[in-house]
Amino acid sequence: MSQKWMRLDNAALIFPAIRQRRWVNVFRVSTTLTEPVDPVVLQQAVADLMPRFPSMYVRLKSGAFWYYLEELPKPPEVREDYAFPLTLMQEKELKTCCLRVMYFQNRIAVEFFHSLTDGTGGMTYLKTLTARYLSRKHNLEIPAEQGILDWRQKPQAEELEDSFVRNTNGVALNDREPDALRLRGTREPNFLHLTTGVISTDALLEAAHRHGSTVTVFLVSVMAEAILNYQAERCPVRKRRKPVKITVPINLRRLYGSRTLRNFVLTLNPGVDPRMGDYTLAELCRVMAAQLAAEGTAQQMAGRIAANVNPQQMFLIRAVPLPLKSFIMRVVYNQRGESKGCINVSNLGVVRVPAEMEPWIQRMEFIIGTQRSYPNNCSIVTFGDKTCVNMIRNIRESELERRFFSRLVELGVPVLIESNEK
Amino acid sequence: MYCVKCGVRLTDGVRRCPLCQTAVWNPDGTAAAEPTFSDRYPKPLKSRRYPILAFLTAILLALSLSALICCLTVLHRVAWSGYVMLGCALVYFAAIFPFWFDRREPLIFVPLAFVLICGYLLYICLYTKGSWFLSFAFPVTMLAGVLTTASVALFRFGKRRRLLKTGILLVLIGCSAMLIEFFEALTFDTKMFLWSLYPVCAFSLIGLFLILCGLIPPWREYVERKLFL
Repeated sequence: MSQKWMRLDNAALIFPAIRQRRWVNVFRVSTTLTEPVDPVVLQQAVADLMPRFPSMYVRLKSGAFWYYLEELPKPPEVREDYAFPLTLMQEKELKTCCLRVMYFQNRIAVEFFHSLTDGTGGMTYLKTLTARYLSRKHNLEIPAEQGILDWRQKPQAEELEDSFVRNTNGVALNDREPDALRLRGTREPNFLHLTTGVISTDALLEAAHRHGSTVTVFLVSVMAEAILNYQAERCPVRKRRKPVKITVPINLRRLYGSRTLRNFVLTLNPGVDPRMGDYTLAELCRVMAAQLAAEGTAQQMAGRIAANVNPQQMFLIRAVPLPLKSFIMRVVYNQRGESKGCINVSNLGVVRVPAEMEPWIQRMEFIIGTQRSYPNNCSIVTFGDKTCVNMIRNIRESELERRFFSRLVELGVPVLIESNEK
Repeated sequence: MYCVKCGVRLTDGVRRCPLCQTAVWNPDGTAAAEPTFSDRYPKPLKSRRYPILAFLTAILLALSLSALICCLTVLHRVAWSGYVMLGCALVYFAAIFPFWFDRREPLIFVPLAFVLICGYLLYICLYTKGSWFLSFAFPVTMLAGVLTTASVALFRFGKRRRLLKTGILLVLIGCSAMLIEFFEALTFDTKMFLWSLYPVCAFSLIGLFLILCGLIPPWREYVERKLFL
């Protein structure tokens, strides 16, 4: 019997093309329960969700012109977590399964190859998996609400759609912008350092409101300030400094009312040019908020979507053989893909779960991997009164983390630091 | 517990602050911190580089040995196989040997390659009983070596003032054409200024233009605006 397959969505097309032997774009969502995880029950829960999430239980295959996703014949096996998150998903593994379900002590973690879905889709899967796990383990009746899907239902067509193609306006936006500062450090090839700052949500909200901004804008501004100061120390001559820009993923589901479980985010790069002068945190908050508001409208985003979708729809480009297409995409990505920002700051927002689940969950986490050339990345998720700011890096130096978290403490936001360093 | 330097709160039992590595003094002496991750590491990725390098080395070795054996069998002396063996050695040291190292320092390997080219030319000169090595091949190879090493050094250390650096290099390359013609005239009794003035003029003009662009910001911006890729 032939297996079902699906095309990659527009944003997903780039990830198989740019992957390298030692780098693949993956991200992780995890939940920490109040009790140790039972791997047998977890395996059963993973199997239960297989018909409900056909776009997650897939492997990567290559056709003559495009990569595609093929449904798995059986669910992936759950496994114990590694010493660090987001270990390399090798090509062989991608061809077997693009999703990992892992456990360690009280934690259930799911790692996705980015071609499957984005953070929001990943969190929907994790919440539904956790609900199913708790239902099996404790015979709980957990309603399908707050982003949890009914596992008995059939998948909806709108959950599997490529929302980019549906929401393009056809007029490609020219997004030419100057290159940003590239952070550097001493590479550590076989380890990813994860530093988690656990912050009280109320304290963070209060600090953000004090600066007249949202949590995302506030954290993006603090990060920009940390990088600006870091650069000023390393490069005293002002005119040699480079623009500091933060890559902020924007969840397009809210803008266009999409319910897709596949990728539907685009990034913006708000930032400042330090050659123009010094910026206070209040000024940074204003600049960042203004840039995000101006660029993040549905109309502007539709133009950005069109810039990505238009080439994909041109017959001549579609007819180019896959190896050549991958090569061209890699070259374009090398030139433009990661040069416009210094670091990702990805805020998944507030995660809510039904009241029946809440007593069983300590916290939720969201970790994005390092980019090919960014040595640091930052991801944020809020659950209850805990906001977890995860900073990951593939270099030895922890200077950026130190500056960022110390600044938060200076601003009256207490931070509890956890790390995976032994 | 708090880090006295960063001001952040730390999980109980940690010995150093993960952010600034400042030692944490805990008067209560509590137990070690609970690990947040397991001790399981993924299998390290095997390097593909060494088997490929070993394979290429073996091919060059086989080529050299077979040339030597053929030569000795047919001519009973080392004749043309000398060229093959030294050619293989040259290819090995210039293109394969640097890749055995994790850090390939071009400022060591580029001059080394030119020294080896000199050695190869010396062998050919001696074998053919020529007299062109010292007065022509050696200075020309060394000149090419110095220019290549200088360009590598200029572009490796600092990406600033690329136009200026390229301009200076082009002027130097142009002037070196005249030196090459001088060595040619010295060795082969040809006339001076037969061909070298053309590259000198062309390279110097382009080089001077780039130097000026590097020094004058509006010119530089114009060139970047018109020629960006």
